[in-house]
Amino acid sequence: MGRYILKRLLMMIPVLLSVVLLIFILQFITPGDPAKLQLGTDATNEEIENWHEKYGLNDPFAVQFTRYVWGIVSRGDFGNSWRNGQPITQEIISRWPTTFLLAILTTLVSVISGTLLGIYAALHRGSLGDAIARVIGILGISLPNFWFALMMILLFAVRLQWLPVSGFYGPLYWILPAGTLGVLGASSQMRITRSAMLDNINADFVRTARAKGQEERVITYHHILRNALIPILTNVGSRFAQNLTGTMILEQIFAIPGIGTLMVLAINKRDYPQLRASVILVAATVSVVNLLIDIAYAAADPRVKATFKSSSGNFLKFKKRAG
Amino acid sequence: MKQKETAVYTTKKRSMMQESMHRLVKNKTAMAGLIVLLIVITLCALAGFICPEGYDKQDIMNKFISPCAEYPLGTDNLGRSMLARVLYGGRYSLFIGLAATIVAAGIGIIMGSVAAFYGGLVDNLIMRFLDAFNAIPDLLLAIAISSVMGGGVLNAILAIGISSVPAYARTARGPILAVKEQEFVEAARALDARDRRIIFRHILPNVLSPIIVHVSTGISGGIITAAALSFLGLGVQAPTPEWGALLSASRQYIREYPYLVTVPGVCIAMVVLAMNLFGDGLRDALDPKLKY
Amino acid sequence: MAYLNLDRLRRWTFKVKGNDMSDTEKILSIKDLTVHYLPPEEPACKAVNGVSFDIRKGETLGLVGETGAGKTTIALSILRLVQSPPGKILSGSIEFNGENLLEASEAHMRKIRGSEISMIFQDPMTALNPIDSVGDQIAEVVHLHSKCSRAEARIKVEEMLELVGIDKSRYKDYPHQFSGGMKQRVIIAMALACSPELLIADEPTTALDVTIQAQVLDMMNDLKKKLGSSVLLITHDLGIVAEMCDKVVVMYAGQVVEMGDKRSIFKHTSHPYTKGLFGSLPGAFPDSDRLKPIKGLMPDPAALPAGCKFADRCEFCTEQCRAREIGLTEVSEGHYVRCVLAEGGNHH
Repeated sequence: MGRYILKRLLMMIPVLLSVVLLIFILQFITPGDPAKLQLGTDATNEEIENWHEKYGLNDPFAVQFTRYVWGIVSRGDFGNSWRNGQPITQEIISRWPTTFLLAILTTLVSVISGTLLGIYAALHRGSLGDAIARVIGILGISLPNFWFALMMILLFAVRLQWLPVSGFYGPLYWILPAGTLGVLGASSQMRITRSAMLDNINADFVRTARAKGQEERVITYHHILRNALIPILTNVGSRFAQNLTGTMILEQIFAIPGIGTLMVLAINKRDYPQLRASVILVAATVSVVNLLIDIAYAAADPRVKATFKSSSGNFLKFKKRAG
Repeated sequence: MKQKETAVYTTKKRSMMQESMHRLVKNKTAMAGLIVLLIVITLCALAGFICPEGYDKQDIMNKFISPCAEYPLGTDNLGRSMLARVLYGGRYSLFIGLAATIVAAGIGIIMGSVAAFYGGLVDNLIMRFLDAFNAIPDLLLAIAISSVMGGGVLNAILAIGISSVPAYARTARGPILAVKEQEFVEAARALDARDRRIIFRHILPNVLSPIIVHVSTGISGGIITAAALSFLGLGVQAPTPEWGALLSASRQYIREYPYLVTVPGVCIAMVVLAMNLFGDGLRDALDPKLKY
Repeated sequence: MAYLNLDRLRRWTFKVKGNDMSDTEKILSIKDLTVHYLPPEEPACKAVNGVSFDIRKGETLGLVGETGAGKTTIALSILRLVQSPPGKILSGSIEFNGENLLEASEAHMRKIRGSEISMIFQDPMTALNPIDSVGDQIAEVVHLHSKCSRAEARIKVEEMLELVGIDKSRYKDYPHQFSGGMKQRVIIAMALACSPELLIADEPTTALDVTIQAQVLDMMNDLKKKLGSSVLLITHDLGIVAEMCDKVVVMYAGQVVEMGDKRSIFKHTSHPYTKGLFGSLPGAFPDSDRLKPIKGLMPDPAALPAGCKFADRCEFCTEQCRAREIGLTEVSEGHYVRCVLAEGGNHH
């Protein structure tokens, strides 16, 4: 088991490297001189040259790439922002916890409410409650999250004045952002849970359990739900990734001092190093979270645990079939 | 653990399709979605007739008028008719969503099919390449590509399209792999059928359904992503009235003139909802075993 | 159709020994059971129509018939496990040790399931929960019906595993680590763990290899004798009936068409359908080189014809057969046949 984790951690490295490579390539193939964007149209050629020197843009691709990667790996240095010349790492470290925690909170809201609702809908399939749940389900995946957030601000902060509009000074400020994103995320979680439960509800082993005289409650949770966990857990992983992105977008609506606001600033000013750093950070976080979820699979399903002990190749095949 | 088997169709493709169509038509919510979609598309197409003045006609004297008889959806901060902006903007939103999906599906399906059909090293290489995309959420990738490439409709289409490729590749690859290993393909080979025959008569019918379903939900995803990009200032540029851009422009007036924000959002939500309802219906119709 | 192990049949014909069961008490008595499936917007599927039979203590009753004859529905009805919508028990009674199970509360049924009446199903591959160890699954039924500690339950489980020929060290193994035959043994262990009075076995060996079949059947016989249980054995295999059963009930299209003790059914076969079943076995006509199946198909339970349901396929069919519903006639003691010919006193 420990060996599997190690293997996965090692596999993360080429993945992250290719992510960085991807971004670098993108940047290189785009026409246009970033110096002009940063310095303005009336910059002199000399100023432009100095700017290129300062940010090492005169070196060939391979050199820039290696220097960048080495900087991250050896010193945790993500370079300097083109916008203000400050080292990026500092700002990121101070802002990252906010974004990350908010994303986790949002995901918890989504997963808990979505899963419970999904179980209810599956068990009471065809009832009014099921119909309502499915309506919520389809609404949730259809509404753009940033618009929904604006609407919720309109309702709760402006009209009803129950909650603050923006800022991030305490738990009360977390309710709107985590709530809106969480509720929307709950929809897809509910749909997946419902369909995974329905897959198992008519399973033969459920019939066996009933024939043993087991009560319905135990059958629902111990027999059906535990067998439905794999697709549910898979969705938790993708839910987190989407919530993380969503949080970053919502940050500028709610004026939350996180990575998202930094990223939007970087977008507006074409500050590629900042953008790169944000993307890499997100990719690394998502990879780690996915690894944790894969480990959770093993706890949920002993057949998965068995494949861990043999070779990881089987597991990925298993996951693709099952999920 | 899969309790249900992958639905395997015989090569009687036509009668299967007819049956599926029949099921789809009987599905009321799906048909409602389809009708709403058609209405919206028609209205946007007829934008020229409904609002012949175009989306950029400014009239500062008449700014910030709430919805009324003369201006059914009100006017914005520059006195432009919201109805016009929404109708013309719809063309952009819908077009970008559709075009991006075509790009993504085209590239993705080819990649996935090649990977699945040839298997082995080819499959490994392609999947490893796509794994790199796994770690970055689709929207973030679209943002990154878009911010590097710059604004504009074409760049938005490319950005959204490229970021959606891995999903389509996986959708195409899965069923092909599953069918490839099933016995009736072995049987066909044993009867010495040529590769092309195998592909068309055996594999294709089973792959089409998941792809069709994915495309129908993919277009709605594309519309939301396009709106998100515009909202962040990427993608389409002013004064193009793409729905996300409308939201972004009106954000600051949310307190005093909420209709400026509500209206474009409702449009997006309505179209996406209609598409999702239709997509769900399509999925139910094509694979009755998944009938939930 | 069925596979008949000719050896078994021959062995049996030479040592005909019936048990005299007439004095032993009945533990299960089904009277006039009617169960229909009513899917919305579709015609009702009349799975079981007016079925009655009894099982005595220690007896093994074979419920024979083709797929779709209603056998499984009867079994599920005894334990009230019929999926309800769309299934519905319309009328009849099922008396078990004096009480009518169809009127019992759900809580009472839960007490009965697994401890007084147990059921094992056809496909062992999917009948076990894939994420619980086999030991835990057997322990589950023990804990449900007795207040014992975990240690005591474990001892019981190991006892059962040994009884079915599985090494007790495999307690913690998971179902996917067992073969089909071994899985079925686990299921049998699970069913017998609480020493039920009645074991319902729905085609327990159909999904298994022939060699494993023999092992499992022998084991079931042994255990049945040890524990003194009665067995309701559902099967379409007459060889198994010959080997294991004391009494036979033959079903067709939701009705009992012939029933009696084994000797009557095998030696004095009366109903044309039952004769057809015996006649269609490979080896029944050793000199011919083609099988002789019964021509035609069983009628759709959603569209049953009036009168005798077997009329379309019967070589002895007359006009009377379709004119009215036919009742059961007792052609000899305990031997009932549902046929116009039997009523006339002409039985072959």
